[in-house]
Amino acid sequence: MTTADGILATTTPRDRQVWDFIRRNPTIVIGGTMLLLIALGAVFAPWIAGDPIVFKPVNRLKPPSDEFLLGTDSLGRDVFARTVYGARISLLVGLSVAAGSIVAGLFFGLVCGYYRRIDAAVMRLLDGIMAIPAILLAIALVSVMGSSVRVVIIAIIIPEIPRVTRLVRAVVLSVRELPYVDAARSSGARARKILLRHILPSTVPPLIVQATYICASAILTEAGLSFLGAGTPPEFPTWGNMIAQSRLYLASAPWTIFAPGACLALVVLSVNLLGDGLRDHLDPRLARRM
Amino acid sequence: MKKISRRTAIKGALAAGASTAVLAKVAIHSRPALAQGMKQIRMVPHADLRVLDPIWTTANVSAYHGAMIYDTLFAYDGNLQPQPQMVGRHGVSDDKKTYTFELRPGLKFHDGTAVTSKDCVASLRRWAARDGAGQHMMQRVNDITAPDDKTIKIDLKEPYGLIYEALAKTSTPLCYMMKEEVAKTDPNTQITKHIGCGPFKFVESEYRPGSRVVYDKNPDYVPRSEPASGIAGGKVVKIDRVIWDVMPDAQTAASALINGEIDFFEVPPIDIIPTLESAKGVKIEVLNKLGNVGYCRLNFLHPPFNNVKARQAAQLAVSQEDFLQAAIGNSKYYQTCGSHFTCGSPMGVEDGGEIFKMPMAQRQAKARELLKESGYDGKPVIVLHATDIHVMNQAAQVIAQNLRQIGMNVQLAASDWGGVVTRRSIKVPPEAGGWNVFFTWGGGNATSSPINLFAHAATGESAWFGWPSNALHEQLRNEWAAAPSLEARREVARRMNKNMIDYVHDIKTGQWVGPVAYRADRIKGILPVPEILPWWNVERIG
Amino acid sequence: MMAYIVRRLLATIPVMAIVGVFVFMLLHLTPGDPAAIIAGDNATPANIAAIRNRLGLDRPLHEQFLTWVWATVRGDLGISMFSNLPVTKLVLQRAEPTIALTTTTLIVAVSIAITVGVLAAWKAGSLLDRVVMAFAVMGFSVPVFVVGYLLVYFFSVKLRWLPVQGYVSIDQGLWPCLRNLILPSIALGLAYVALIARITRASMLEVLAEDYIRTANAKGVATGSVLMKHALKNAAVPIVTVIGIGVALLISGVVITESVFNIPGVGRLVVDAIARRDYPIIQGVMIIFSGVYVLVNLAVDIIYTFLDPRIRY
Repeated sequence: MTTADGILATTTPRDRQVWDFIRRNPTIVIGGTMLLLIALGAVFAPWIAGDPIVFKPVNRLKPPSDEFLLGTDSLGRDVFARTVYGARISLLVGLSVAAGSIVAGLFFGLVCGYYRRIDAAVMRLLDGIMAIPAILLAIALVSVMGSSVRVVIIAIIIPEIPRVTRLVRAVVLSVRELPYVDAARSSGARARKILLRHILPSTVPPLIVQATYICASAILTEAGLSFLGAGTPPEFPTWGNMIAQSRLYLASAPWTIFAPGACLALVVLSVNLLGDGLRDHLDPRLARRM
Repeated sequence: MKKISRRTAIKGALAAGASTAVLAKVAIHSRPALAQGMKQIRMVPHADLRVLDPIWTTANVSAYHGAMIYDTLFAYDGNLQPQPQMVGRHGVSDDKKTYTFELRPGLKFHDGTAVTSKDCVASLRRWAARDGAGQHMMQRVNDITAPDDKTIKIDLKEPYGLIYEALAKTSTPLCYMMKEEVAKTDPNTQITKHIGCGPFKFVESEYRPGSRVVYDKNPDYVPRSEPASGIAGGKVVKIDRVIWDVMPDAQTAASALINGEIDFFEVPPIDIIPTLESAKGVKIEVLNKLGNVGYCRLNFLHPPFNNVKARQAAQLAVSQEDFLQAAIGNSKYYQTCGSHFTCGSPMGVEDGGEIFKMPMAQRQAKARELLKESGYDGKPVIVLHATDIHVMNQAAQVIAQNLRQIGMNVQLAASDWGGVVTRRSIKVPPEAGGWNVFFTWGGGNATSSPINLFAHAATGESAWFGWPSNALHEQLRNEWAAAPSLEARREVARRMNKNMIDYVHDIKTGQWVGPVAYRADRIKGILPVPEILPWWNVERIG
Repeated sequence: MMAYIVRRLLATIPVMAIVGVFVFMLLHLTPGDPAAIIAGDNATPANIAAIRNRLGLDRPLHEQFLTWVWATVRGDLGISMFSNLPVTKLVLQRAEPTIALTTTTLIVAVSIAITVGVLAAWKAGSLLDRVVMAFAVMGFSVPVFVVGYLLVYFFSVKLRWLPVQGYVSIDQGLWPCLRNLILPSIALGLAYVALIARITRASMLEVLAEDYIRTANAKGVATGSVLMKHALKNAAVPIVTVIGIGVALLISGVVITESVFNIPGVGRLVVDAIARRDYPIIQGVMIIFSGVYVLVNLAVDIIYTFLDPRIRY
């Protein structure tokens, strides 16, 4: 406590504000920092690590050493290099899928929840897509379009859209009849204004939780697709590929799974902490209660 | 009102649950309980048995199924010598143009009827229509007839030295004997009735494609009196039932073996063998000594590999050592080989293979030179990459890296094996959906013969995928088939191998054996045979 | 009310029609050629052409589609291209393990997740809450197959408590059947528990902050009663939505779990079929899975109207 007091005593009001924020939202800070570090690693990968693709079979399945910080995989590639580069693709998949499906889902959800006439048609279409098991749909899409990172992202987004739509729509349905929305409507506000100003904000807290979940699950789905042999091409250094390709070595060469597994868990963990923290922070009613 | 509705909803949910349970119940065919003291073996084969017609397909697992329930006229013994199996007395006329076989007594189909020479003639014809060696033989055959119920006669146009070899071979499709009515099925259509005459009976009611296959001992089978050897000799069944459990995941199967839930695991990945070796009761053994041979096929129809210099460059660039290390891993189970016909087999001659003995750096330098001479312009080279099969997954990545090292612009086209199989048959240019390179492997036993293996033909567009074309090679194959002795055939094989390396028929990526893992504390007597997994002679001891 | 249900039931017809078109188009646009795969490694191009002809794959696409729709409507899912057995029979052979695995997981996971989620929200910020949330986070941080292998490694191979793999029919007794389902259910259910627990906690927190809950608390209504009667009921809409959506997650998870634990279920049937382009099986199973999913979500929609009378139907 003396340190905290010390800091408080020697800081300016602005610093105090920052410190205050940190103390109130530890999860945002922890999650955000971890995520930032991983993202930095991803951006500066070429300066940190060696080549993630070139290999020498002579070096295969070497345990961690000075030469190979985290050992080598079954082809003799550097696990450390692949793990660092893996952050790029995993984060890219996670973030693109979250952003893509939230944007699309929000659009469809708001429209369907509010304009009841379009609702039936659009929802049936989305229901149709949603009814097909996501992983089978993704495998099928990847085999139609060929396996690449872009295709995998699209293949994971498509089955997510109806899910987000349904969530948004459920919120809209329970909010649209609340007194303040009714009031806005009877005072002659236009539909678009009502949607954006009065209904959209209510969808934010559940969507944040949902976005973190989608981001995390997209990274995991990519791993699942790799496990079934339908993910990004195995040459690509993604954590999903690394785990899927090393599953035979769980007992004999655990380092091949440990590094990507730990990073995967770490990223998902930080995304979730960030999401939870944001949720608590963004919801003033909850903040008051705590 | 609201309360009642909610209760109704819950009731509805419960009812729905109950009805699914009932549905599930209806869906099950109840499995008969195993009789007390029944000797049963559970094994995990390398693949699921999907096709029950071992003549129609070349899939090895279907050939295993065939060996369980059918029998053959002749059979290779443990020294790869053909021996009579269903045949008793047999002989060749003095002009070497008429072969006569007499069926031994007591042979019966599983429906109780006797095996007659008519059944055998129909079976021979159907097999010969599907099989490479059979087709080769039929070109020299005048007629196959059944003069009486137990005699089969083959009349030849000219003397042909490979009759016994073809009928006895263990490479797929084997020449299995079926009932005449079944054997009359069009060779291009699968059979639908599975009436065997072999040592085991197929239990059709318990067959679950993708999951399990069950065989019971055939008590009416009359084995030969000789000891079992290879797939020849007395097929004495010492157990009551064999169950094949299909497990697509190797780690799962390995754990099941360690835990004693299965007795035999046919294809444990080499990398988990140390784990299995240290487990109690588990034994690792190489049954198929000829193992497998990897091939890297190049597309002869399109640039750059329509140019022999580019092919020679690739041949020098692809390192067998790199591939074997990456894909197989344990040098105890692999060897490099400079022969197109399986090192260790009678035809495994390495003439012309000296170029592979050069140091890698020197090979790469020479390869770069050749590539330049070929006029390669940096166009993308498409390597098909099957990601769902471990060896193929590693192989494609090694080949890609090897070709990149000599300056080729390689693109890996990843898909499952199904995708590769489809794309490799497309003849259009690579940029229009075709391909330049793909990897696969064949059994060492099949690969050891210049004739039996379709992939060894160099007949251009009618040859196997890659469509190699070389007139000299075809001439040498005919010479080989006509050669009077093993030594004479070896002599032809020497010239053939040198020629194949010169024009780069394909690139052999080395040889490896696949050890099996089994519970030596529970079963014994497994016969070492290339390409067939026999369950006769096997005993349950624990 | 009845009219609403009938209307929703009728609405499933176009959904299934969309599924049908989608699935059919997807598969026939896939570059894989089943004929080439059936023909095997030593096939000649002529063999492949003969097989294409026999399977009707050389006919125009719309003709194949109409034939397929007409047969499907009559309940005939066709014949597997590889094993030559009717798809309906293949699916029925594989139905029991999949139904057993999913129902067990569903029941156990939902009860655990809601209890845990409510407790975490009630004691928000406490150690209990943190432990629960940490578990929830871990639950969907680790892929199903890694969880699966870890469980097998410890509980089956090392401790030898439970079988490594396989499925025992319920005919052979409840316990042998359940013994085989324990590990797969944990592997499969982990992400599902985590998801529902999180959403339960999130929406409970939202509701617990509402004025009427505070009023109820102030009036001295017992905590249990507040949690269950007032809060949980009002937080139920998102929870039920997620449970419904989660059924799809479960179906996807089943596909992987069945591979890891070698359970001869429908999931493995379809994964094998995709690798081999066995169109009739893929189409049949996708239609069946989709049908199940549509029915579950129909039920969810109907349950909404009970939970939240403000929703107009």
